Amino acid sequence: MKKYTFLLSYRALIMGFTVLFVATSCDKTIQEPAIPAYAPTSTDANAGTWKTYVLTSPTEVAVPAPAATGSAAYQAELSSLKQQSATLTPAQREKVAYWGAGAVYRWNEIARELAARYNLPPAAGPDGKYPVPDAANPLSYPAFPFANPPYTARALAYLSVAQYDALVSAWHYKYKYNRAAPALTESSIKAALPATGIPAYPSEDAVVAAASFTVLKAMFPGEVPYLEARMKEHQESRLWAGMNVQSDLTAGAELGTAVAAKVMGRARTDGMGSSNNQSLTAGMIENAKKLGVTEPWVSQEVPARLPMLPAYGFLNPWNFDKATVVKLRPEAPPAVGSTEFQKALDELKTIQKNQTREQARIANYWSDGVGSYTPPGHWHRTAANAAHEARYSEVRMARTLALVGTALMDAGICCWDVKYWWYYPRPQQYGLKTTVGTPNFPSYTSGHSTFSAAAAEVLGHVFPEQANKFNAMAVEASNSRLYGLIHYRFDCEAGLKCGKNIGSYAVAWAKADGAGQ
Amino acid sequence: MKGTPLSILILTLLLVSVAAKAQMPHDVLYMPRKTTCLALTYGQSSWNEYWEGTLKRDNLNIGTHTTQTASLMAAVGITDRLNIIATIPYVRTSTSAGNLMGQQGFQDASAWLKYRLLDKKGLSVHGVLGGSVPLTNYVVEFLPMSIGLQARTATGRLIASYTHAPTGLYLTGHGSYSWRSNIQLDRNSYQADGRVYNTSEVRVPNAIDLGVRVGILKSNWQTEVFAERFAGVEGDNIRRNDMPFPTNKMEMTTLGWYGKVQPRNLGLNVRVGYVVEGLNVGQSLSYSLGVLYQFNY
Repeated sequence: MKKYTFLLSYRALIMGFTVLFVATSCDKTIQEPAIPAYAPTSTDANAGTWKTYVLTSPTEVAVPAPAATGSAAYQAELSSLKQQSATLTPAQREKVAYWGAGAVYRWNEIARELAARYNLPPAAGPDGKYPVPDAANPLSYPAFPFANPPYTARALAYLSVAQYDALVSAWHYKYKYNRAAPALTESSIKAALPATGIPAYPSEDAVVAAASFTVLKAMFPGEVPYLEARMKEHQESRLWAGMNVQSDLTAGAELGTAVAAKVMGRARTDGMGSSNNQSLTAGMIENAKKLGVTEPWVSQEVPARLPMLPAYGFLNPWNFDKATVVKLRPEAPPAVGSTEFQKALDELKTIQKNQTREQARIANYWSDGVGSYTPPGHWHRTAANAAHEARYSEVRMARTLALVGTALMDAGICCWDVKYWWYYPRPQQYGLKTTVGTPNFPSYTSGHSTFSAAAAEVLGHVFPEQANKFNAMAVEASNSRLYGLIHYRFDCEAGLKCGKNIGSYAVAWAKADGAGQ
Repeated sequence: MKGTPLSILILTLLLVSVAAKAQMPHDVLYMPRKTTCLALTYGQSSWNEYWEGTLKRDNLNIGTHTTQTASLMAAVGITDRLNIIATIPYVRTSTSAGNLMGQQGFQDASAWLKYRLLDKKGLSVHGVLGGSVPLTNYVVEFLPMSIGLQARTATGRLIASYTHAPTGLYLTGHGSYSWRSNIQLDRNSYQADGRVYNTSEVRVPNAIDLGVRVGILKSNWQTEVFAERFAGVEGDNIRRNDMPFPTNKMEMTTLGWYGKVQPRNLGLNVRVGYVVEGLNVGQSLSYSLGVLYQFNY
């Protein structure tokens, strides 16, 4: 009997250790998807002729002719490069691989990261009022900016446009001067990244780094030292990789900086400065009441927070004019209290009672709320990954993101115009709870739906074989707001329709920009 | 649990007085061989202030946050010095203000093996191994409404105790280290440690917990006061005006009282705790009430 008991306890202990072992894998390092370097499927040699957004011509910023490959100056650069790329520390190797994933790809990712870091609504002060972030004091609380969806849509749009315009210009000079990659001129230089077959002067990496730095330091003024460090690291990684000599980088940085400065010239006059003009809301509410919205939106936060960027709808769009913003407004939402309204509200009440795990998953997957890179960031990531999978050249990757980015900002402008035109109440004003957090602006139409349909429309044009997938993603993103209980079905459906129309303007641009698909 | 059953219970307590034991993963009591104790416990924990990092604050969009827990526990005497303890909790969250939807469901099943390593002249040392696994695929990324963290855990614990046999007075201390597994979000990106992770995998900090308790244990009743300390060994703070997240370094010090009466097979236990200090947690006041029943076979 005693033996039996001993065996039993022994078994129990073994079982305990098994539980311990199974319950934990010792390595808790987070594995993120590896983003490999690649040789682009096409050099896009004619990209110097593609249509630009802000530049009037690819030669608007001059790039001086490089030293001839036979010159003493260039030979000195080559031997310096040979030395710098000969032996790398593990840390340098890691940086080479990181930036090798793609200049546009990485800077888009950095911008999304900053957006997420700055996407926090300020806390109310002791007086019950919410302080407004101050661009002149970006690091004192509340930090500037509050990178909410409209802010992020705009920051990423300017980033992508600056990268694209600068790269079109760079491509013009690359094929004008035709200076081959260092490893092709000096065979003893072993490049650590795949050869692209694209002329090396000016360096596309330096162009993108400098253009991105110029835009992002304006969008996230508290992050200048961080951005400087990233830019420096990016440039150095090209030397370590044996991909560019210093003069490739210097010329690229100058071009990128100059083009981005011109792009930021547009940003200064696009209307963002007055997008938080709260004195307009009284008139907007009056207008909505005249239109028949008997119970206009009110903030669901305690204390009540002023609505997010009520004049963002007045910004200058990219792919159409301001008159078109008005033209793109959807049909009227159902009257509050009407049968149609009640039906939509009842649908939400049913979901609230029986939200399935799959509905919760969809709501969470697309929530892109506080602390995230927002829906525009989500779609930039989707676009960047699709372009990476397609092994696009830097310039075509930038074009893809500029098409999507401008469409997303246009979607933000149109959606915010509609939101403050109708000033429509949120379901929370009728007792609904939420599983994703209630956004602090009017309900009609759904921002997620508008952003997503616009981006999917553009991506469906660029990657036609994946159009169905992108459309399905947009529909799921749209439904997620229903499942999260913060939008009526009619908010989502109207948003999808508007978004598709908005995206079609970027598609029209794409069809005529000289880049083909 | 209320009304008639409770009065019957109290009556029972007054009428019988044969030693019976109910025990927990942090005490030094054992179910004798061929006995099992079942416990049905209801607990409630509420806070209206929390530590956002080190900043103590209220939140008018939450009001008072309440977590209710009903759990079923079984403690089985394998031998007189080896017990298995298993628990299944059902958890429900709610708030008194704002519009965050409450969540509910079966949370994490846990199982513990407790073994008396040494027992000499009132001094005893015990080793405990425990583990927990989520019972359901509850949502984890909706803190503070989520009912749990979804992490699988494995805990190693040492307990040392001294009992003065004539009076029943005891002093017990324990220390544990819990390994907590990484978890998966529904989202495929999130921010933690000041950066964005482009994956759904999240690292949940491992944790230590310590406890000291002083009390009196008699054959059919027990009373004790305790201090407990829980602390994640790493992690980030909730950012200003952000929501909590599973990567947060949570810490709390709880003071409380525990009492038990179990004259024969049926018993009752009560626990009250108050968080006096914390980091990234609510300052909760909690209580629980359990009905115990011992089977001998």
